[in-house]
Amino acid sequence: MAAIEINGISKRFGSVQAVSDLSFEVGSGRVTGFLGPNGAGKSTTLRMLLGLVHADGGTATFGGRRFEDLPHPSAEVGAVLEDASFHPGRSGRNHLRILAAAGGHPASRVDEVLQLVGLGDAGNRRVKGYSMGMRQRLAIAAALLGDPEVLILDEPANGLDPPGIRWMRDLLRSEAGRGRAVLVSSHLLSEVSQSVDDIVVISHGELRASGSLDQVLGQAQGGGTRVRAEDGEALAAALEAAGIEFTRGDGGALLAGGATPEAVGAAANEHRVALSELVSVGRSLEDVFFELTAGERE
Amino acid sequence: MKRLLRSELIKLRTTRTFYALAGVAIGLSLLLTVLTASIGTNTKADVLDNVFQNDVSTLFIMILAIVGITGEWRHRTITSSLLAAPDRVRFLGAKTLAFAAAGALLSLAISIAVAIVAYAILGSRDQPTPPLGDVIELMGRNVGVAALLGAFGVGVGSLLRNQAVAIVGILILGFVVDSLLGAFAPGVETFSPTGALPNAIQGIDPGDVGMSEVDFLAAIPAVGAMLVWIGALFGLGAALLVKRDVE
Repeated sequence: MAAIEINGISKRFGSVQAVSDLSFEVGSGRVTGFLGPNGAGKSTTLRMLLGLVHADGGTATFGGRRFEDLPHPSAEVGAVLEDASFHPGRSGRNHLRILAAAGGHPASRVDEVLQLVGLGDAGNRRVKGYSMGMRQRLAIAAALLGDPEVLILDEPANGLDPPGIRWMRDLLRSEAGRGRAVLVSSHLLSEVSQSVDDIVVISHGELRASGSLDQVLGQAQGGGTRVRAEDGEALAAALEAAGIEFTRGDGGALLAGGATPEAVGAAANEHRVALSELVSVGRSLEDVFFELTAGERE
Repeated sequence: MKRLLRSELIKLRTTRTFYALAGVAIGLSLLLTVLTASIGTNTKADVLDNVFQNDVSTLFIMILAIVGITGEWRHRTITSSLLAAPDRVRFLGAKTLAFAAAGALLSLAISIAVAIVAYAILGSRDQPTPPLGDVIELMGRNVGVAALLGAFGVGVGSLLRNQAVAIVGILILGFVVDSLLGAFAPGVETFSPTGALPNAIQGIDPGDVGMSEVDFLAAIPAVGAMLVWIGALFGLGAALLVKRDVE
């Protein structure tokens, strides 16, 4: 069972259909990028997933359970939502103490996560004196309090400086490496392309693409697989037999548009063709993003 | 529920607003006590009402409770609160209990301080003092009223998200509407949660608070009526909170 399952979820605000029959899954041990232009429905989807906004239809579950039905929600799911807010007169440490008490986490965990996000020395300062990046780090600390199996991060790089962004990327990879499922929405496409395994692209509240990053980049128009073999004709015959369309490139390479390396490799293997090159070639995530969202403004 | 209650009590203790309003309530109560104990003379019969009944915590705990619940929306901390405790009814229940407890504690602290100061001043002036048992009974009544009004304030704040509107509304209710009802609709005022009911629980004479036309209920039925008010507000507030999208 996937760590996060979103199945046919919809939400309408007045005359605006914010999310429409959206379905996708997020697996454990993977970082999934959740992409879409402003107003595409990303934040609404995440809020529905977290039980903050009521869906008109469909289900959003963690291991088959709604967020509200999890026995220990903050120990199972940690979330940073866009525009995370704090009481300005309260210190960062006290903000975390409150959440730790509500979630039943030991008080010692507060100092651990403050250290982890680099706010160890600023914990006793009032939040109103924090920079935007410090607030973002505090929000991440709050999400990590319960050492959850699932992390949901809405625009986590907002306000972070370049070292902060790198720290965030390392954190995402490290959490996924520990088997955690990480769902991260971001508008920083180059950043996403460096840190995610899978992507989900939505536009106007509808799913436009989902799958592994390579898969989506490869399937998008203009992408595909570049393949080369000593016996170029045998390779061409194998691809034709498998129904894979291709064009001939430089140096005997074949470019199989719209086909994944897995499909091309399987076709070559079936005809015992030894390959000397098998590369997924696609355009940049940015190109694909604009293609999938039909050039909407990000 | 225990975790949520602890969390709500930490919230209360970690803002300056609580200490500022509690400080003003204590200061004002002691000032009134010093003045009433130092000026004029009292008889054994009226010294309890005149000097020892200066606990003004009720108004302040109501305001604190309103600030506490509406502040969740104002500062948008409602999101992190509901992520930590997604059961919204339990969240509201914990907040209600926390402010009831805070009201009781604040009132107890004020009542004890008032009693110490009053006994000291009256004793030094050779003025009559009430029996300790009567003072303790009065403390109990005050503590009960403060607890009920703390819970009532959370109910009001759960219905009116706008902090300023909720606070101004409760002040108008307490200082204007209650007076008008006392004069023109005393039968209605009898059941007012900000006027006759708390006064009835505290054992105050209607004439002492300018409500001589109003029939105060006995203390126990007044507590029951307050609980009905709190229950109704809690039910409505919880229904609204459950239905609301937190965007």
